[in-house]
Amino acid sequence: MMSWKRKQGSKSYAYLCARVRAMKSKLLQKESYPRLMNMELAEIARFIEDSEYKDEVDELARRYDGANLIEHALNQNLALTYRKLLNISAGESHHLLSEYLKRWDIWNIKTILRGKRYGASDSEILEAVVSAGRFGYHDLIELVRKDVPEIIEKLKRDYPLDGYSEDRMDYFENALDRFYYESLVELEAVRKPKTKSNRLFSEMVKTEIDVRNLKTLFRSAKAGLEREQIVDMLIPGGLKLNMVALIKLAGLPFDEFTASIKDYPYWDSISGTVTDENGSLTGVEIGLDKYCLEHASRSSHYYPLSIVPIMDYVVSKKNEVDNIRMIVRGREAGLSDDLIRSKLVL
Amino acid sequence: MAIRDVKPTRSELIELKKKTKLAESGHKLLKMKRDGLILEFFELLNKAKNVRSELDDAYGVASEKIGFAKSVEGDVAIRSIAFALKDVPQIKLESKNIMGVVVPKIESSQVRKSLCERGYGILGTSSCLDEAVEAYETFVEKIIVAAEIETAIKKLLDDIEQTKRRVNALEFKVIPELSEAERFIELRLEEMERENTFRLKRIKA
Repeated sequence: MMSWKRKQGSKSYAYLCARVRAMKSKLLQKESYPRLMNMELAEIARFIEDSEYKDEVDELARRYDGANLIEHALNQNLALTYRKLLNISAGESHHLLSEYLKRWDIWNIKTILRGKRYGASDSEILEAVVSAGRFGYHDLIELVRKDVPEIIEKLKRDYPLDGYSEDRMDYFENALDRFYYESLVELEAVRKPKTKSNRLFSEMVKTEIDVRNLKTLFRSAKAGLEREQIVDMLIPGGLKLNMVALIKLAGLPFDEFTASIKDYPYWDSISGTVTDENGSLTGVEIGLDKYCLEHASRSSHYYPLSIVPIMDYVVSKKNEVDNIRMIVRGREAGLSDDLIRSKLVL
Repeated sequence: MAIRDVKPTRSELIELKKKTKLAESGHKLLKMKRDGLILEFFELLNKAKNVRSELDDAYGVASEKIGFAKSVEGDVAIRSIAFALKDVPQIKLESKNIMGVVVPKIESSQVRKSLCERGYGILGTSSCLDEAVEAYETFVEKIIVAAEIETAIKKLLDDIEQTKRRVNALEFKVIPELSEAERFIELRLEEMERENTFRLKRIKA
């Protein structure tokens, strides 16, 4: 029975990884970005239309134009790509993928609750959701049509929304994000990885948790938050930063905090961008994102028939969407080429 | 006041002298008020120039930061996060007195919020959003300061104009007319005095 299961899993990975390799080959090459940097918005839209995003650009061109058209096309394509991955995966890969992509469900729940609190119309809320998780667009439409008590009633079994109050929106948003990462850590493939590929997947997830915690600590140190306020936002289960280390780092003044993280492997990717507490943290965040991407990309070659190359594709696809959006919105906002280039994660 | 309407009597002369004295002291006071208001106006004008340039700078920074946040997070994400911000800044409107001119005094609260009070979660957002929010908080604060100063300037200008008109009316119309009427009565009284003296001399002769 066990051997059948393993065989089944391996077959499933062989098919899925072949599809993913084909999909990955269609991602924009690094050399495309300098070309995109030299284009105007209309040219970028045309360039995008000639690539994988054609269907989305054609479909959305009736409703949007300019940068909005490109961004919505990118988001819709991302959602469809992830949905396709969920549809063609099975067994362990499907389970791990759907758990990983639950971040988009969390994103959509937060958007819907924020929109309801603000009093936005259903169409306004639907413009701001991205159905890249387990909730399809029709599920989201159904959810948006409900009022807040009905939404909470529907979701509270699966998400930590018990006692939801609109006055404590930030608390519930943090709770949802924490819940997402805690659920990932609770997965057997992450908690007790039995195969080497799962170990890499586990490392990837835990690295992401470390990165998320570091970003929280940087922002909290800059804002001068108290330790008690920060501890509630820290996520347990990181790779290099356990809760004891995180609690020690929480609440430190900015200078002491940056001095304390110099021994961690993440420091090399951000050392050039850390300034004083008045400086911008976007360079630090981008450095940490680059670290995550490189980590996923490096691991993807070790076990070609495993979850690792699939996760690498998931991360790379999101990164491609982020990079194109950065160029498009940067152009629209009149940001300098150097600034845009420095924020691209290549 | 037409000269022909003036009754050339001693009581009228006393009345006119009183009025002239009052008009002259009023003129002096209004001139002092006008000069004081002009001084206040120039002081406020310097402040307004500084606030205006700070406001322009703050707007530039806020536009750049929101543009950058849209680039990093996406317009869709910014739209979603913006839904979280429901509380609008509270403004308390009082008034203060500058040389008799009532100008507004605007005090704002809940404009600048700490990271934990902004309504959105920290874990699901990035620092570029914090920077955009901070830039807009500064911008809103500058708008409130500029509104206070610029409204005060407008009110002062209106009052300076009004005071100037009053000063001019007193200086070039009311006081000259009163002086003329006074002179007319004095001349008329002197004339009547001479007529009386002449009449008495004729009766004696």
